[in-house]
Amino acid sequence: MNKRIAPYYWMTVPAVVLFFVFMTLPALQGIYYSFTNYNGFGKEYDFVGFKNYFNLFQDDNVGNAYWFTFKFAIVVTILTNILSLLIALGLNAKIKFRNFFRGIYFLPNILSVLIVGYIFNYLFSNVFPIWGQNLGINALSTNILGSESLAWIGIVIVAVWQSVALNTILYLAGLQTIPTTLYEASNLDGAGKWREFWSITFPLIAPFFTINMVLAMKNSLMVFDQIVALTNGGPGRATQSISHLIYTGGFEGGEYAYQSANSVIYFIVIAVISILQIRFLQRREMDL
Amino acid sequence: MRTTLTKALGTMLLCGMMAVLLASCTSGDSANGKVQIEFFQNKPEAKTTFDELIKTFNAEHDDIQVTQVNPPDAETVLKTRVVKNDIPDIMAMGATDTYSILAQSDIFTDLTDSSLLQTIDPNYIQMLNDLTGMDEVTGIPYATNANGIMYNKTLFKEMGLDVPKTWDELIATAQKIKDAGEIPFYFTYKDDWQTSLPFNALASNLVGIDFYQERRDNKVTFKEKYGEVAEKQLELMKYGHGDNFGKAYSDGNRVFANGEAFMYIQGTWAISEIRKANPNVDIGFFPFPTGNDASEIKLVNGIDSLFTIAADTPNREQAETFIAFLLKPENIGRYIDEQTLFSAVEDVKQDDPAVQELMPYIEQGKVVDFADHYIPAAVQLNSIVQSFLQNQNIDNYLDTLDKEWDKVANRR
Repeated sequence: MNKRIAPYYWMTVPAVVLFFVFMTLPALQGIYYSFTNYNGFGKEYDFVGFKNYFNLFQDDNVGNAYWFTFKFAIVVTILTNILSLLIALGLNAKIKFRNFFRGIYFLPNILSVLIVGYIFNYLFSNVFPIWGQNLGINALSTNILGSESLAWIGIVIVAVWQSVALNTILYLAGLQTIPTTLYEASNLDGAGKWREFWSITFPLIAPFFTINMVLAMKNSLMVFDQIVALTNGGPGRATQSISHLIYTGGFEGGEYAYQSANSVIYFIVIAVISILQIRFLQRREMDL
Repeated sequence: MRTTLTKALGTMLLCGMMAVLLASCTSGDSANGKVQIEFFQNKPEAKTTFDELIKTFNAEHDDIQVTQVNPPDAETVLKTRVVKNDIPDIMAMGATDTYSILAQSDIFTDLTDSSLLQTIDPNYIQMLNDLTGMDEVTGIPYATNANGIMYNKTLFKEMGLDVPKTWDELIATAQKIKDAGEIPFYFTYKDDWQTSLPFNALASNLVGIDFYQERRDNKVTFKEKYGEVAEKQLELMKYGHGDNFGKAYSDGNRVFANGEAFMYIQGTWAISEIRKANPNVDIGFFPFPTGNDASEIKLVNGIDSLFTIAADTPNREQAETFIAFLLKPENIGRYIDEQTLFSAVEDVKQDDPAVQELMPYIEQGKVVDFADHYIPAAVQLNSIVQSFLQNQNIDNYLDTLDKEWDKVANRR
């Protein structure tokens, strides 16, 4: 008995210990500090109870960051899923150079977010405005990242461009699990392509739809790198996401405890959203 | 048997990991009989210069070995090391809000009576005291930088323009350039910290630094005092280019180096970057004329780097020897030469032709510190100013400054 079970402990215990030391412990520490007025360094701090939490709800910078992040996350999730499903359908069809195209569409995923961000940053400030001027389009002739009302669209473009790659691969994997016999049967019954998609393809890739929605939503709620590379939260605070606010306020601003409270709240928000999403989307999944 | 072995191994693994976690580099003494001094500094640009100075020093001293540490994002690294109580022997940094907070946490040696301060311009020592609000001096000012208006001498000559001495002349000059279809100021406001440069010049000159002491005691508000600062900064925006918020600092350096704009509100730190883009550009620098009385105008001149010694270092004497070495006129002379900075040591001059117009101000002590050194970093002044320049709503801007200041003060 013991002999057989020991290896399983060997496989799980180190992982649990590592996870605990590097993830759970810091998280617990963060919760602890969120009840203090610790500034991130120095030796002295006092307990202030729920003062940080109380201040959070009075702070319109926090409200502003939540508004930006949710607006951004919803738009990115929808666009990413529509585009990647379309691309996956195309790449699953019998086209020439299919593997070559699959490789090309996956490329953005293996590039570092920061590098992609800096390249787009250059394009937005030095290339697109020149196109805009030559084409006579006013909206394009200045850097959209420099405008308070348009900068978020620039970040959406970059985020979608990059996250489509991974979602496409997941959808592609989903499409390949559908047996071809189903399509043959529907062909015999005279179903059109549109009907085929809604009645066969889409229901059968539902588990992949769920995971893609959850992943895209979670990734875009945690958006950070793109913002550092493109706008650094600006102009003003127009594109400051919650993670970016926590980082800049907590480390550069010396408000470690206050932003710890912010991250505790944000952790709860993300957990609730993910659970709801999974509950809701799993209900409409089906098995063969 | 097996379970005990498993347990033993598991404990060992855990202990090993804890050991790795806890093992922080302890500042070591004497690997080879020499006293080891760790010199921590925050300017990546200055790494090579310091390396060479250290090489000379180590060769001269058989019993001391100085090592330079210059990590990226040095201020954050330093803060985390302070938390771990692993404080470097000597730290060099700018006179910023971070310095002020660290000084108030008593981690630096009190140097008030140190002989190292004898050759330092007292103006800069006063600046440190104003900044920290303490009577003790814990930092030794080393090099300083300045913020003003850079101009392209060649273009000014071609159009027959004189260097403006007052605010009205500045606006008239900008208007003339604009009328000729050229770019008066090249604004690079995609980077929010660039928007605080005119703010610093205007706020330090028009309102002064004492304001911040009174603001801390809640005796004044930004709303009462900062109207003129806001109006003047906004007026300058009329003389920019088409995409003021679309260009960043690095774009600006390139464009200005290539002679596409007449003036550039900038700090002296940009000179070397601009020369990299075009070594032949003929640049000059004048103090920001914030008002109409030319004799009143002061140069915004802040401490770019200062030295501190850790309070708990066992090697204070050796650390002071090294700092005394760096303060020697030939060494600081070389440093400011390579970095295009000014010396905090009296009678060491910067000969760079680009900054000659600023020298009289520094020599006569007609200088004032950067206003934003007195604003807590958590207020995020830069993004507030950037946002104001986009919305152009002065009331809203001043309210935000007061609101953010109070909010941060309330959290501390």
